[in-house]
Amino acid sequence: MRRLPAEMAFGLGILALFGAVALLAPVVAPYDPHAFSGQPLERPSRAHPLGTNDVGHDILSELLYGARVSLTVALAAGAGTVLLGTLVGGAAGYAGGWVDRVLMRLVDGMMSLPRLPLIILLIAFLGAGLPQTILVIALLFWPTTARVIRAQVQSVRTRGYVRMARLFGGGPAYVFLRHILPAIGTLVAHGLVVSAGTAVAIEAGLAFLGLGDPTAKSWGLMVRFALNLPGLFLTDRWLWWALPPALCITLLVLALTFLGIGLERRLNPRLNRRWQ
Amino acid sequence: MNRVFQGFVGRVFSYLFSLWVILTLNFLLPRLMPGDPLAALLDPASSDYVFDPEVRAALEAYYGLDRPLLEQYARYLVGIFTGDLGRSIRLSRPVGELVASRLPWTLLLVGTALLLSSALALVAGTEAGWRRGSRTDRALVAVHLLLANVPVYLTGMLFIHLFGARLGWLPMAGGRTPFARYETLLAAALDIGRHLVLPALTLTLGMLGVKFLLVRNTMVTVLGEDFMLVARAKGLPEGRLKWGHGLRNAVLPFVAHLAAHAGMAITGAVFIETLFNYPGMGRLIFESVTARDYPVIQGVFLVVSAVVLTANLAADLLNARLDPRVLEG
Repeated sequence: MRRLPAEMAFGLGILALFGAVALLAPVVAPYDPHAFSGQPLERPSRAHPLGTNDVGHDILSELLYGARVSLTVALAAGAGTVLLGTLVGGAAGYAGGWVDRVLMRLVDGMMSLPRLPLIILLIAFLGAGLPQTILVIALLFWPTTARVIRAQVQSVRTRGYVRMARLFGGGPAYVFLRHILPAIGTLVAHGLVVSAGTAVAIEAGLAFLGLGDPTAKSWGLMVRFALNLPGLFLTDRWLWWALPPALCITLLVLALTFLGIGLERRLNPRLNRRWQ
Repeated sequence: MNRVFQGFVGRVFSYLFSLWVILTLNFLLPRLMPGDPLAALLDPASSDYVFDPEVRAALEAYYGLDRPLLEQYARYLVGIFTGDLGRSIRLSRPVGELVASRLPWTLLLVGTALLLSSALALVAGTEAGWRRGSRTDRALVAVHLLLANVPVYLTGMLFIHLFGARLGWLPMAGGRTPFARYETLLAAALDIGRHLVLPALTLTLGMLGVKFLLVRNTMVTVLGEDFMLVARAKGLPEGRLKWGHGLRNAVLPFVAHLAAHAGMAITGAVFIETLFNYPGMGRLIFESVTARDYPVIQGVFLVVSAVVLTANLAADLLNARLDPRVLEG
């Protein structure tokens, strides 16, 4: 059995930890994150290990429940992005000709748009909410995946065994499922991980800017509420209020990035020589 | 030559097309939304109702919602090209004026960070690529991989705490000292410079990771090329090899990515300006989002998009000038 590379082990470990926290949040969290479980702005104590926020919610419980929001967005937006990207990239690469040209024009055009301002505009008019956030991320970030998938499909399509399958009368659906999908499997997994990382960062960023779901207590929203407190940085209160959610966001994004690097090495073993 | 010219025309054409998409999207989006956020501004029954009659009249005139859609579109386009971006609900001022007062701050912040991060990335990336596999290289890669994944507001918070609150060396917020009256131009520049240090440093670090990894990886590829072997065989000194031949060829992809980096810088600036209360466009976005000041959100979106698209085109053309093969392809 091959040993798991260090970066994969790190990524999967962190991801599993956050996943467990998200699933078991009601068990491991000391309080309901929406319950007024203490006085406002309590310092860390045995009852509230990370203190309380400005309205008296337990910060540790908010943090633990926050994993649910981030992981939901990561999964849903990541899957949506990769699904769209694979469909468009696969169609462009497989069909070739004018279909390819039109779709790639679309991809180029979308990639030149400044994404964050566009996301802000869309969310401002669509209204802030998790479904909107997920939808907007998927709709704006698929072109990156599409480009990679298209290149791979193009190269697979011309290989001998695929040409044979088509000569023997294999329809597009058969060839795609039987031969092309396995050949792009790792690539799709890589795309999923990378898009999930982007989605986590974007969701947190939107919540930070006040464009997140106001009812979903996410890590980004926690940072925003902390920063709303005048003079937050004049005391060390930010250390247990603003810093932990920001660190959680970083750790989750980092874990997904490392997982992506691991998959990339599996795709392209030559990278190993280069990095060592 | 002909193909180069065709490539040039193609770039300009696709730039204009993107610009048109942005303009049209900006026009259609608020009008197609369910619940009509614009009508809500003029509806006395809604919670978004604008009470100031002067602003309400300006809004009605600007959006012209009672007219046919095509006429609205034509008026909108004419308005944009004559510099009319509508009127802010929150501040009751023309959006164009607001943007003009905020844009220089963002350009200062983003420009400083772009220059600094590019210089650092080129030097560090070349060194790391040159000594690929060494301990220095691995340490540099690890640090930059971390930097590429840390949200800018985390770095920013650490800086504010350390250099602002703990050590008291630098101001924690704002673009300049409030109500300051400067005796000389130098005093003004110093004050603005002092306020710029922390936000610019945060943005620099935020962009450094991605840029470094790009330069390092290109450098590694370039070092494997035949011409490097020949240059070495000629007995060129190490400095010439590294900077004259290695870096010079690694710069090309770097320039090609400059536009993407400009977009990244804008994204970073939105968060950093919000965190540092820096008076630029990013802070303006944040403020207008909080106040649901739609005309300002739209105006900022248009200006920022136009700037990023133009940076795209400029980087494309610069790249083509450095390597004419780009336009032929």
